[in-house]
Amino acid sequence: MKKSILILLAAVALLPFVVRPAIASEVWIFAIFGLGLNLLLGYTGLLSFGQSTFFGSAAYVAGWLMKIHGVNAFLALGIGVGVGAASAAVVGYLCVQRSGLYFIMLTFALNQLFYFTAYQWTSVTGGEDGMPGVPRPALLGIDFNNPLVYYAFVSLLFLISLYLMKKIVESPLGKILQAIRENEVRAEAVGYNVPRFKLLAFVIGGAFSGLAGVLYAMLFGIVPLEAISFVFSGNVVFATLIGGSGSLYGPVIGSFVFIWLSESMSTVWARWPLLLGVAFVLVVLFLRGGIVEAWSRFWSWKSSKQKT
Amino acid sequence: MEILETKNLTKAFGALTAVNAVSLAIEAGSLHSIIGPNGAGKTTLFNLLTGTFQPTSGRIIFDQKEITGTPASRIAHLGLARSYQRTTVFPAFSLFDNVWVAAFATGKSWKGLLYREIDSYSEVAERANLALRDVGLEDKSKQLAREISHGEQRQLELAIALAAAPRVLLLDEPAAGLSPEETRKMVALVRALKGRYTIVLIEHKMDIIMSVSDRISVMHFGSLIAEGTPAEIQKNPEVRRAYLGGVAA
Repeated sequence: MKKSILILLAAVALLPFVVRPAIASEVWIFAIFGLGLNLLLGYTGLLSFGQSTFFGSAAYVAGWLMKIHGVNAFLALGIGVGVGAASAAVVGYLCVQRSGLYFIMLTFALNQLFYFTAYQWTSVTGGEDGMPGVPRPALLGIDFNNPLVYYAFVSLLFLISLYLMKKIVESPLGKILQAIRENEVRAEAVGYNVPRFKLLAFVIGGAFSGLAGVLYAMLFGIVPLEAISFVFSGNVVFATLIGGSGSLYGPVIGSFVFIWLSESMSTVWARWPLLLGVAFVLVVLFLRGGIVEAWSRFWSWKSSKQKT
Repeated sequence: MEILETKNLTKAFGALTAVNAVSLAIEAGSLHSIIGPNGAGKTTLFNLLTGTFQPTSGRIIFDQKEITGTPASRIAHLGLARSYQRTTVFPAFSLFDNVWVAAFATGKSWKGLLYREIDSYSEVAERANLALRDVGLEDKSKQLAREISHGEQRQLELAIALAAAPRVLLLDEPAAGLSPEETRKMVALVRALKGRYTIVLIEHKMDIIMSVSDRISVMHFGSLIAEGTPAEIQKNPEVRRAYLGGVAA
């Protein structure tokens, strides 16, 4: 446990010197997004294919408030978390009534609803062109326009998010959500209102997505239309599955691999998503626990070899 | 005094009336068995009692209070816990976590639901360990539920129900699929629980029923056709015709 924290802190410290600070920031922002999804996907067993609804809504609302009304960064982040949670409460309320394929399709369909609203509402969202001009307001006299300073800010929020998520998954709630994943009927019978717990998972996941969305808008100074599209919803699912949906660190590792791959490969090879597809197929066929499982399998294989 | 009663309880699935005007009265502290051929409506009756299905008509009274229509997730909080005919546990959980989740649900308070550590609920852990000890699985508490034998899973099934510290236990064929040896252990277990809980037992194995029950109700095609002590039931000609026919001949 201690070792993983040290590795993480080292990664946070070194990353901006390995890749551009903007990319490094994007890695941890995407990781926050992944943490939120993983509470649903990994812990509750709910495949939400509409996480960008919360990410994008928060980015638009907070971005607009910063751009037009000069709201400060703290307030913008708080509002983003609130918008993420509130939109997740609405979407979640409708989705938890159904299960299986219907659940997945509902998350997707509602995502499309939000997407086309953003697409049509050009006076605010800029439609296909996105909403440019999102500032990075200074906070307590700290100028976030310096990429490294902003990176430090993002990293700090990421570490706090990770800590909070760790607390949540190790709390009774985490255990109850996993019990729902393992056996919904029994979870209900032992005394848990399953739809209400699923909704709670949605709201918490939405809050994390909202935080990530605002940080994303501040990072690039724009809310692109993709931020609320199913492509983003899919990306966070891919990244989480590749990293390993069963564990706390899975989405963090997944986001690291996903962003690094997309940023480094997209400049060299326009067809890089092919690689992602191959990685995804490999994970689904051979490594259901993603990179986290590959890692632990490697170490148990190595230690068994040493014994003989 | 009756702790659990049904009055003209009926459940129809379309044209099929699975449970037909069943009026039962379960005496507090007793072990009351429900027998009947396959498809007689025994499990459906349990599903009605635990709120899994809502009845078409009729009433359910628990501890002098009407509980008809109470959703499944509230039933455990009232003090009514069930086990399942087909093993229904949390496979990837350790045995301890299996019972812990059930114990927490009916715990004193859910304070700290989102942030407190699991180990910090000592009362819940105590109850969980007690439930495992009651069924004789305390030595395996760290093993995963999917890794233990079928017989042990049946014991765990029972432990999850016990962990809720219920007043009434509804046991749906606890000995389903067990070997003769395992069945003997299960019978001893049910016998040990008798007196501590009011137990409603569904079972097919007649030797178990006759040896542990205080009272027996017989269901046939959704209706109650007889009720009485084991000795009375064995003599009842209607029961013999409907159910015991082959055995008694």
